Amino acid sequence: MTEPQRDIRQAVRRRLARRHRAERRFQAYGVAALAAAGLFLVLLLGSIAIQSAPAITQHKLTLPVEITAELADPRGDLSEASLRRGSYNTLIQNALREQFPTVAERAELRELFGLYSGVNAARLLNRVASAPELVGGRVEFTFPISDDADLYLKGVTVRERIQPGLAPIAISAEDTDRWRLVSDTPVFAEILVETRQALSVEAAGLERRRDDAVERAEAARDEDARRAASATAERLDAQLQRLRIQAQPDQALQLGPTTKSVLVQVGDGVYRLTGIGADGASASAQRLIGEVSAGAVSDWRLWTVLTPPTARLISDRQIAWARALSDRGLVENGFNTILFTRADSREPELAGVLGAIIGSVLTMVITMLLAVPVGVGTAIYLEEYAPKNRLTDLIEVNINNLAAVPSIVFGLLGLAVFINLFGMPRSAPLTGGMVLALMTLPTVIISSRAALRAVPPSIREAALGVGASHTQAVFHHVLPMAMPGILTGSIIGLAQALGETAPLLMIGMVAFIADAPALGFGGFTDAATVMPVQIFLWSSGAERAFEARTAAAILVLLAMMLSFNAVAIYLRRRFERRW
Amino acid sequence: MQVSLYTALALLVLTAIGFLIGRRRALAAARSGQDGARERLHSLPNYHGYYIALWTGAPALILIALYGVLGSSLTNMLALGELERASAPLRASYEQALTSDDRLIALALQTREAEGEIVTVRAALAAAREDSDRAGSEAFSGRLTEALRARNDATAEAAARRAELAAALVAGPQGQSADARALAGFEYFTLPAERRELFISDARAFAFGEGLPSRDTPQIRATAQLLPGYQNIFRFSIAALALAGAVLALTLTRGRIHARFRARNRVERVVSVALLICSIIAILTTIGIVGSLLFESGRFFASIDWRVHEFLFGTQWSPQIGIRADQIGQTGAFGAVPLFAGTALIMVIAMFVAVPVGLFAAIFLSEYAGPTTRAWAKPALEVLAGIPTVVYGFFALLTVGPFLRDFALFLGYEDAVTQSALAAGLVMGVMIIPFVSSLSDDVINAVPQSLRDGSYAMGATKSETVRLVVMPAALPGIVGAVLLAVSRAVGETMIVVMAAGQGANLTANPLESVTTITVQIVMLLTGDQEFDSPKTLSAFALGLVLFVMTLCLNVLALHVVRRYREKYD
Repeated sequence: MTEPQRDIRQAVRRRLARRHRAERRFQAYGVAALAAAGLFLVLLLGSIAIQSAPAITQHKLTLPVEITAELADPRGDLSEASLRRGSYNTLIQNALREQFPTVAERAELRELFGLYSGVNAARLLNRVASAPELVGGRVEFTFPISDDADLYLKGVTVRERIQPGLAPIAISAEDTDRWRLVSDTPVFAEILVETRQALSVEAAGLERRRDDAVERAEAARDEDARRAASATAERLDAQLQRLRIQAQPDQALQLGPTTKSVLVQVGDGVYRLTGIGADGASASAQRLIGEVSAGAVSDWRLWTVLTPPTARLISDRQIAWARALSDRGLVENGFNTILFTRADSREPELAGVLGAIIGSVLTMVITMLLAVPVGVGTAIYLEEYAPKNRLTDLIEVNINNLAAVPSIVFGLLGLAVFINLFGMPRSAPLTGGMVLALMTLPTVIISSRAALRAVPPSIREAALGVGASHTQAVFHHVLPMAMPGILTGSIIGLAQALGETAPLLMIGMVAFIADAPALGFGGFTDAATVMPVQIFLWSSGAERAFEARTAAAILVLLAMMLSFNAVAIYLRRRFERRW
Repeated sequence: MQVSLYTALALLVLTAIGFLIGRRRALAAARSGQDGARERLHSLPNYHGYYIALWTGAPALILIALYGVLGSSLTNMLALGELERASAPLRASYEQALTSDDRLIALALQTREAEGEIVTVRAALAAAREDSDRAGSEAFSGRLTEALRARNDATAEAAARRAELAAALVAGPQGQSADARALAGFEYFTLPAERRELFISDARAFAFGEGLPSRDTPQIRATAQLLPGYQNIFRFSIAALALAGAVLALTLTRGRIHARFRARNRVERVVSVALLICSIIAILTTIGIVGSLLFESGRFFASIDWRVHEFLFGTQWSPQIGIRADQIGQTGAFGAVPLFAGTALIMVIAMFVAVPVGLFAAIFLSEYAGPTTRAWAKPALEVLAGIPTVVYGFFALLTVGPFLRDFALFLGYEDAVTQSALAAGLVMGVMIIPFVSSLSDDVINAVPQSLRDGSYAMGATKSETVRLVVMPAALPGIVGAVLLAVSRAVGETMIVVMAAGQGANLTANPLESVTTITVQIVMLLTGDQEFDSPKTLSAFALGLVLFVMTLCLNVLALHVVRRYREKYD
């Protein structure tokens, strides 16, 4: 073999290898694209499923509530009117105070009553009003605990650590609200070290930000920016100095709202440390709950709430109370039935999706009744009847354009025409259903036309051949054959409408609806909301607990849409016919 | 409601009876031919039934439907007419009191003066602005503010004075002797227009239990007492009319049935007309959209003195209108460029995600993947397409947004926010992937196999065939698909409402929060709104821009596909 030949051969081989590498690379791009799409899907559904977890169960508090006659029955005649004027919230409050008799101050009481929502009293009222013989006795009343306490008990919002006490401590009262905890060994030393470490990390961060601010002040071009930056730098510097003093190892440590809370649990009582001595063996404390006399105890627990009070919505006291109620067996974690049996509420623990589901059903009924007959009628006209003229051309162009019009524009149409021109009710399923019907119409028409076109002409010709009229051929032969396809397309269009939010925002279906609309004729004109809008409303809710409920509502919506699509797939599989 | 319901039921029964009668008469007509021989019917007996049923049911049901739509406003109108008559003497003396009141006359004069001043100062201000005379325009705007304040004070005082006079009249001897109805009418007709509707809805709340009344006064009660009477008259007369009409139609059409009667042709004509009406609804929808957008936008542009260029090219967007007319910045700024820029930024980010991923997914699925992969991947993409946009918005807001912010903070970018253009754009891109991939898939599959086979025969690898043969052939379709995807991205609402923020920043930094056309439409039209303020109307102008934009994109896409598509047949 001569040299040049080998060169050519090698060159060809190299080129072939390069081309094959390019081939593999190209294929890898395709796989990567598919994998990316799949990854997004998994991420999306997975994150929502994980986020919804805290909303699946709910902590419910069961209290023995004394139905005292003077509070429940102000007129004293056990009549319904009198029972309905009773102050049931006070009854629940009294029951809660019974659990924690030492709580006396107004501010403390307010915190205690923050463990539940006063709305629950309405349920107690209804129960007593329907059974007046309960007055004067005790009833076991179960109600959801507040969302913050619920999330705390689930361990979602607050991180904590409970350790047994290392060595006996002596508790002595300094004055009315200050207690002193002293031990022989440095039982708090670990906390001291940890907190100082956290403080110095924070200090380092502050220092960096201060240096940044100083730099910015030096580099600033105009006076205003310079002044603003140097003010920031000064503020940060002051903070830094405070932190540094706190973090010094030979100083007593002050525990405040920005550091973690350290609680000491002794029997029924809970103390919160306000400061730890430099030796780590002594501390000053406040009593949060319980009645413990001074003295030495060996059986105690060190309870560290790692999330500082400023980073959570539940106070130290409420944590102590919630834990105590839970330890007493009064709190039970069960399936969150409220989510499925109630309408919306301002209190996350009492909010449910039932109202939105009913609103969605009513809206979908209107959409279906309007969009499917009109859409199928249009499709039949265009496919089977329409002469080829300008009008039908116009209709066709129109439908194709309508299919691409953003959904929000249909909302504008609904607002301008249905509500302002025709005076139809705002926020009502009737109006919403009509807007969604117009939006769904092109989808229904296009899929119905495809289904009609798929019926072979032989069917039509055979029908005409045996003497059927044109209308008879269409309605007796072509339409039944196209029905599975038409139904599938219609259901898919309705599923789209079920998930649509934007046009409904325009016609005021964003209202807060605390009562589920009636499932009947009256419900069509009542104010209502629908599932996607409920999700939108909850997602902007300030309370942390709404986040989980939003995710759970999304799962409910997806399940609804999935069942729609499952029906469509079933119809397609069952009745699909190939020619 | 009940009466209408029963009437409708009765009509349905009548319609059914009509159908049966039509059938029976047709059959009877067939039997009663001459000499006992069976006569051939022109149409099947059912068509005779349909014919009678149509005449019996349709007009009456249309009448009832019309009543359902217009009934309540007719009732209101009649009741108000009654109130107007009852309160005529009171109102006459009120008018007299108004015209003879010196204070009011003085105030009216003041108002007119102030208005004249406003007009002249406005003109001067505009002229000063044209000449970019800064000092002059500042002086004029100061004068304008003063004139506006003077006018508002005068009108407010006049309104207060009128209320005073009205109260004096009601408390006076004539008011004392008038009955509740007259007082109700008087109150209604002295209310400002926007409060009248509330008055009526309160009265309806008492009369028919529609919702909760906002207040409870003897006047409203008196109106409420009037309403049911008129409603009943209406209800019963409509019901009687509908039923009588149905029965009449039934008897008349019944007489027309005979063997030669061409019932089928008549029914079929009705059917085809009904189908035509269905298809005209699509046109009506478009007319409704275009009409309402144009009309409301026209009102908006009129309220900003037809400075359309300021709307389209202005860079300041702050549509807040002061509550008082003389508040600073009360005219609002309607420069929509920040919204267009925000929309474009998010759209570009979304396209950067959707086009490569969607296109490569389509290529892989149509050229490489085996049947099993397709069986898995296609439904997965369909699921991605079926997820409601509000769910994507939630994902962007609570998962992607915080992640991107933390990532940016980690990289040392200090001003990172949760609601950023990047978060919204990325998630929107994911949403559009299935759209791009399914459209491109169709286009790629439409390229004939012979082209590929030819390329393979020349020794090209699969990827070379795709890149050099299939892609160029499918390019017009793919461009069309991308244009449609752009139009989808521009019109998408929920993701941006939830994840892009509301601040109208004019920026190209994807880590800042921007706002889009759709976000602003939602912001302007949700919550409390008075319908006539420029703030609300500007949403329609934005809607018009959005509509025109998407329409142009669609037409362009269609044009590209039609113009450059190669025909292989």
